[in-house]
Amino acid sequence: MANELEELIGFLSSPSPQITKAAVDIVRGFTGSEDGLKSLAHYANIVLPSLSRLLAGPKEVSEPAAEALVNLSQDTDLARKMVEMGMVKIAMEILYKPESGISKLLVMMLVNLTQLDAGIASLLQTEDEKMNGLYVMKLVRSFCRSSSETSDDPFEHVASILVNISKQEAARKLLLDPKRGLLKQIIRQFDSSSPLRKKGVSGTIRNCCFEAESQLQNLLLISEFLWPALLLPVAGKKIYNEKDTSKMPLELGSALSIEREPVTDPEIQVQVLEAIYLITLQDAGRRAFWSVNGPRILQVGYEDEQDPKVMEAYERVGSLLVDNSGTEESSAEKSI
Amino acid sequence: MGKKHYSDAIDCYTRAINQKVLSDSEQSILFSNRAHVNLLLGNYRRALMDAEEAIKLCPTNVKALYRAAKASLSLNLLVEVKSFCEKGLEHDPNNKELKKLAEEIDLRRLEHEQREAQVSRAVAGAKDLASAIEDRGLKIGKAVFQELTGLRKPTLDNNNILHWPVLLLYAEVMSSDFIEDFCETDMFSAHLDMISFSLSNMFSDTCPPLPWDKENNYTRESIELYYEAGSGVCLSKSKLLRYLLEGTAASHVESIDVDEKDATEGLNHGISAGEGSKWVKVGEKRTLHDILKEPNFIIPGIPVFYVVSKRSSFYKEFKAGKWVPPP
Repeated sequence: MANELEELIGFLSSPSPQITKAAVDIVRGFTGSEDGLKSLAHYANIVLPSLSRLLAGPKEVSEPAAEALVNLSQDTDLARKMVEMGMVKIAMEILYKPESGISKLLVMMLVNLTQLDAGIASLLQTEDEKMNGLYVMKLVRSFCRSSSETSDDPFEHVASILVNISKQEAARKLLLDPKRGLLKQIIRQFDSSSPLRKKGVSGTIRNCCFEAESQLQNLLLISEFLWPALLLPVAGKKIYNEKDTSKMPLELGSALSIEREPVTDPEIQVQVLEAIYLITLQDAGRRAFWSVNGPRILQVGYEDEQDPKVMEAYERVGSLLVDNSGTEESSAEKSI
Repeated sequence: MGKKHYSDAIDCYTRAINQKVLSDSEQSILFSNRAHVNLLLGNYRRALMDAEEAIKLCPTNVKALYRAAKASLSLNLLVEVKSFCEKGLEHDPNNKELKKLAEEIDLRRLEHEQREAQVSRAVAGAKDLASAIEDRGLKIGKAVFQELTGLRKPTLDNNNILHWPVLLLYAEVMSSDFIEDFCETDMFSAHLDMISFSLSNMFSDTCPPLPWDKENNYTRESIELYYEAGSGVCLSKSKLLRYLLEGTAASHVESIDVDEKDATEGLNHGISAGEGSKWVKVGEKRTLHDILKEPNFIIPGIPVFYVVSKRSSFYKEFKAGKWVPPP
């Protein structure tokens, strides 16, 4: 004898559109509460496939279905089941169907799914040699072509997906691959006014810097974009004088010669400082950092800093540079 | 004089051998002795055959084993030398000559292996360099001014960053200067500053100018750098590898493994030198890598930049495209 919940779940697959519409709205409501989630979780094997089928339907059912799935995917076990049943592929297919209208929700669901290693692997398409990295490339392209200017910015959350996946080496390698140029595109989003996008960029760069030991060249060769993204947040708010900016490359020097909005998010600041630390652990990284007058920028930025965690991060880089000052500092001093 | 007697000796031994009336051990001695004479005559192959025959007839014939080893040594059959020596030493462990030979072999093998290792290291190094160049999308063309550049080549450091030797040419007088190690992430300004510094303020107003710069036009502020755009043909991958191997342990290597798809000839990029080549100014605040990766820059072996002074009368002629580097 089916209980009410089972009946409701059954209605998700009803041939009548009015019934499915009513059912999915109710299910979506359930996913909003802790208890509701727990109850539905028992029937995961039916609920999840039913909801995913509805994603392909008209907006009146696909939207609540997507909302329900976003909520469900916050639970680790449910997320795992979703990845196992190929939810990443389904999401990507619907995401790129024109007029799908639920892009933002699908991206949010992917954020949750990529909290799991299996989700990351699924998104990277590591199994499939030919398609490897295709999903990621599509997401990056959408991320970079859209902006926070539009009212809803559907691809805003790709920022968080990138941070999630870059926890894995395979993703970092993909992002750093100079032939695909993904990191270069992503870094440009740093100028965005959306805090989520900014955080996503700094988090992703920081994660990618864990490859500095083996792939330093892929980081340094986009230094034109990399250094401004890493140094502007920790350059303080003062306008730099000519003596300092003359030693910097143009894009950095000109940005620091004018009035600017300082970055106030300590999380971003700590992340970029960690990224700088990872780069300057390497000989060539330190050399490049000195050559753009990086240490001077950190010096000035540190003067105005109040947040203890950020200060600690500055100090960590500082002592690394001092310990290794040997040749670099003397060659920098020579050119004064 | 002695040699004539040797061939007589060979004849005698041969006749004795052909009589086939002696015991195996006695035959063995005959073969062994004929081997000895062949060695003296320099007939190493025949000596080896005789010695081997002697060994077949009497495996404990240490003299034969020694002579087989010596013959093999002259034929550069290092493995055989070792094995004959070892067999001989089994029967006569204190044999000084065999021991000496064995040591010599070990030494030779070591030297050979070291040389092979050097060659394969050189080839691997050149391949890494070629990959690094390819990954960066750089175009390398035929080297020019080799009388000035010699065998200098780019290098890769531990962090996979490229360091280039860079040639600076003062176009007005075709005098030259070298930057031995220009790291691709360095800016031009840093190196230009260092040149001024190391030549005790060559570019300063109070110091003597370059010997040919009578009017002191070439100061730090007045100089500009240019590269020649679109001149020449890109090297194919195998030609590039060969160029990178010049002057290394592997410069003689005949064939290098190159991917099939890379084996095609390089593309012809635009105009060749002298036919209205374009001069492109180099922004001082840019890094070497930024400039090298410009699509119209075909690096002539190693990067060459032309130095001119805004203050010199030569400047107008240069900028108007009327000057061409001498061949």
